[in-house]
Amino acid sequence: MKKILLSCLLALPVLGYSQSFQVNLQGQKQTAMGGAGTGLALDEAAVFFNPGAVSFLKKNGVQAGISPLYLKTAFRENGSNVTEYNKDKIATPIMGYAVFGSPENRLRFGLGIYTPFGGAMHWKEDWTGRYSVTSLDLQAIYIQPTLSLKITDHIGIGGGLVYSLGKVDLRKALPYTLNDGRQASAKLKGDAKDFGWNAGIYVETVSGVSIGVTHRSQVTATVKDGDAIFDVPDAIRDRVPTKFGAELPLPATTTLGLGFHPSDKTTLALDVNWVHWSKYKELAFDYNNNFVSPPSPRNYHDAAALRFGIQNQTTNRLALRAGIGYAFTPVGKGYVTPEVPDANRLLLSAGVGFKATERFNIDFSFLYENVEKRNETNIETQLSGEFKTLAYIPGISFSYKW
Amino acid sequence: MNSKYIFRSMIAVAILGMASCKPELSTITPSKGSADFSRYIAIGNSLTSGYADNGLYLEGQKNSFPEMIATQMKTVGGGAFYTPFFNESQADGSGYKILKGFTPAGLPIIGDQNAHTAVRTTTPTVLLTKYVGEINNYGVPGIKLVHINIPQYGNLNNFYERMLPTDFPNNTTTTYLNFVTSKPFTFFSMWLGNNDILGYATSGGANPADQPTDKNTFASLYADAANKMTANNAKGVVATIPDILKTPFFNTVTLNSLLAAVHVTAPTINTIYIKTGKNATRAATAKDFFVLPLASANLIGTGAVPYGLFPSNPVESQWVLDEDEAGIVSDYVASYNATIKAVATNKGLAIVDAFALLREYGSGKVVNGVPISAAYITGNLFSLDGIHLTPMGYALVANEFIRSINSKYGSSIPIVDVTRYRGVKFP
Repeated sequence: MKKILLSCLLALPVLGYSQSFQVNLQGQKQTAMGGAGTGLALDEAAVFFNPGAVSFLKKNGVQAGISPLYLKTAFRENGSNVTEYNKDKIATPIMGYAVFGSPENRLRFGLGIYTPFGGAMHWKEDWTGRYSVTSLDLQAIYIQPTLSLKITDHIGIGGGLVYSLGKVDLRKALPYTLNDGRQASAKLKGDAKDFGWNAGIYVETVSGVSIGVTHRSQVTATVKDGDAIFDVPDAIRDRVPTKFGAELPLPATTTLGLGFHPSDKTTLALDVNWVHWSKYKELAFDYNNNFVSPPSPRNYHDAAALRFGIQNQTTNRLALRAGIGYAFTPVGKGYVTPEVPDANRLLLSAGVGFKATERFNIDFSFLYENVEKRNETNIETQLSGEFKTLAYIPGISFSYKW
Repeated sequence: MNSKYIFRSMIAVAILGMASCKPELSTITPSKGSADFSRYIAIGNSLTSGYADNGLYLEGQKNSFPEMIATQMKTVGGGAFYTPFFNESQADGSGYKILKGFTPAGLPIIGDQNAHTAVRTTTPTVLLTKYVGEINNYGVPGIKLVHINIPQYGNLNNFYERMLPTDFPNNTTTTYLNFVTSKPFTFFSMWLGNNDILGYATSGGANPADQPTDKNTFASLYADAANKMTANNAKGVVATIPDILKTPFFNTVTLNSLLAAVHVTAPTINTIYIKTGKNATRAATAKDFFVLPLASANLIGTGAVPYGLFPSNPVESQWVLDEDEAGIVSDYVASYNATIKAVATNKGLAIVDAFALLREYGSGKVVNGVPISAAYITGNLFSLDGIHLTPMGYALVANEFIRSINSKYGSSIPIVDVTRYRGVKFP
């Protein structure tokens, strides 16, 4: 089962999008609850949300899920009457978790595979901003073996080592025109393998409020010896590079989560994320062949996200969930780029969970993201116009408990 | 059963949502403001015709700034717009220059494209295939302001002759100004005057037949032209004369680049001698401008007395716009531009300050991720002749015209997408 799960996850392209290129679709229950869940021992996705809560899970289990993500961005250059849209492309971030060990023991084990960062933005090849970007496919799949220890009956700690498999494919047009009218272009493709960690503490207080604090470390995705494929006129072919290197910080996230249990059937969750985006200062590429391209400034700042969710165990078999969230953009004025046209965003979510049998559960979620309209002039490219993005993200997961 | 139903509903909702809920941007309302664009005409010289790469050819005509403006005007009530295009089979028009590659030293190799020209005869003079049909773009390469009232001008300029119904040499009564105003129009652009100083500058001040137009003559003619164009209450836009001395034509071959080339074989030479406009021979300084064609003339250092390297064989006056001559160019351009602005203000016309605009882009600017500068070939702004613009350069100009018109007349003509237009073509 585990093997099948793993190979399935690695084979599929995993792309997503949330606050900037952070993806917050790590569990269907939590997604349906606005992405909150750090202060709860809800299910196997606690491996991601709070390793400290894993030892509090009442059963062992495995789960696998997928959240096909449909994102539509509109752009209109200032002064123009033409609205351009990104291409339709469904990204499919996948998540899978397993929790082992005896529920009676204080020490439990977990394994998580999830996609905390990614992006799939495809513009038309002839769009206005093509000298900034025509497409970006970015993904970082984290594989996280996890230990969780119940220190007392009310306090659990946990941690996991993160092995990140990163992949980037960035394309843009170059301002050279060939004699046949064709446009020069550049494609940068590379892989990165890096390490990080995820740790958390989970406390069930006497008042009945549960508290979770977690920190997921930064992973610096480092591409070495990536392929720089430049399609340029022959006259300048010997001046362009063939290889590149780059570093992209996948920022650390610190989360405080609270869980409330007003009745046996109702659970409330409130999460505050603090994403350490300020490490993302610039996007720089080192090329061979003495090719120099100035770094592209990003100058992101740290940004918070607020998430609130509710779950109601309506019947023995049916759980209803809803959530709302608000994510502040880490991208400052003048730094919005069309590969991630970020802005503050409102998140609305809903979902249902079915207990098909005592062991087999299905969860559905639907997340709607409304990214605020933003009119920006990028200080580097001078691309000036209005962006507006909406995302629709249905999701499903299956879990088996024992 | 239950789960199946809900699952199906969710999928249905998701698909519906995806299909119907496209993101919406702020609404824009098209408006022609106080102007009427139903018949727009463009009058002017090579810059209006779409001339580029030292020639007028079909692709350049299609990418003229009036074509771009007229297309955009259609969203606010603009009418049909006709440019006297060359036929597809004669798309090379007058013939033009192309980039063939680079030498090992990185210098451009420039070639000719003239396989399908529109030359109808070469005797007794070169004449181009006649254009028959409606005209809105009256841009005539080479025309000076001082030419607009010459009745025989059709016999003097083959780009003008091809627009006229009468053949050379029988055009003796059709002045340019009368020809362009013979049919009613509601809006015009007028970008005239560049050639009244350009020919003097590009010939290094050395051509007695191509001296600057007298400033007072210019002022009086410009006022006449503006009066005639607005006689029937047409609204319009005029543009100033670009800063000729900032073009690649005068900044690609420099004292330093000449010396660098000489140093390959004669490292001790540190002086280039020039013949000035006043017929004096002296050492060139950084304040003298060498013209672009000197690069391909391959003269420097040739001959028994190496050309340009000794006072006895200086670089001839035609290759250099010396400091004094450059001062004359700046002075005349400033005077002409003062006239243009004063007349336009007086007539209530919109003004495009092309002088300021091309200086701004020429000194280096990024537009939608494209680096723009006055650098020869790599700057994306100027075509291979170093004077006229690339399609991208003309698109930048078109947008400035649009902004100026919108701001003057309260219209909302949308700008063109500059990135859809090319810079120099590379082999």
